[in-house]
Amino acid sequence: MPDTDTSAMQLTTDQASDAARSAARSAASSSVRRSSPTGTPFTRVLGIATLISMALLVLFGLFLSPEDVVQGESVRILYIHVGTVWVAYVAFGVTALASLAFLWKRTTSLTWDRIAGASAEVGVLFMALTLFAGAIWGRLSWGKFWVWDARVTTTAFLFITYIGYLAVRGLGGSHQQRGRRSAVVALLAVLEIPLVHFSVKLWRGLHQDGSVSDTTKVKLHDLMLFSLFISLIAFTLLFVWLVMHRQRVLAMQDALEDKGLDFALEQRRSEAGL
Amino acid sequence: MSAAVVAMEDVGFILATYIATFVGSVALAAYYLRRGRRLAAQLPPEDKPWG
Repeated sequence: MPDTDTSAMQLTTDQASDAARSAARSAASSSVRRSSPTGTPFTRVLGIATLISMALLVLFGLFLSPEDVVQGESVRILYIHVGTVWVAYVAFGVTALASLAFLWKRTTSLTWDRIAGASAEVGVLFMALTLFAGAIWGRLSWGKFWVWDARVTTTAFLFITYIGYLAVRGLGGSHQQRGRRSAVVALLAVLEIPLVHFSVKLWRGLHQDGSVSDTTKVKLHDLMLFSLFISLIAFTLLFVWLVMHRQRVLAMQDALEDKGLDFALEQRRSEAGL
Repeated sequence: MSAAVVAMEDVGFILATYIATFVGSVALAAYYLRRGRRLAAQLPPEDKPWG
């Protein structure tokens, strides 16, 4: 066979394999679009990583980590409690940073506002779960679901503040007005986080101080530390996944509202004969 | 109350915490996906630049 024929055949084979690869990519991408319009290959990988880390959290948190010499089995609740409160703090921090970016003249973009809103919403869920897990742990350790301890009370106050932030986001006005208004509230609300964190040092109460950071007081078992680490990873991945999807849902919601407004204006113009 | 009964009660509370956390997270994720699907059906592709 002449050389030209061989190279032509090679080219055809390459083209065919390129086309097959492209078709496979397109099929994968359209399957992601079909399964979730807010999803991308990245969020899909993130979702799988979240599921795996959650399964590991259950395995280590419920079965492999040892029981505590003082708290007994109830220490297993802390793998949920610490992970969820960590994500709630991160979420409210992200809300504040995104709000700052929205207010800063050079970066003003509604995407920042939507990230702030999405992050606060997810943070409120995790704060609710923190309070729930804390109440259960309190029932087992202190004999009561609720005590008016400084840390518990300030955490509940933080939770209510961010519910207020979400209510402010739901008020009327343009998207820019919503962004400015809620960004100011977010920057004020985030000031509560240091108060919650240091409340155990500022006031005497039942809630314990940090156990992981202060190694002079408590020496944690390696498996307990590893379970806590898995918990932080799992809840952080879940947080990123939820915020990415929610931010895209909010973007579509804004786009639809804009289209509705354009349509209403068009109708008014046609009614007025303009 | 015997130690075994106390331990069983603890297990119930611990499981309730894990179940509530996972159910809460899955419910929020499902709500976002369902809402996204509903909104995406009403919008053209140019309003979904990540797709």
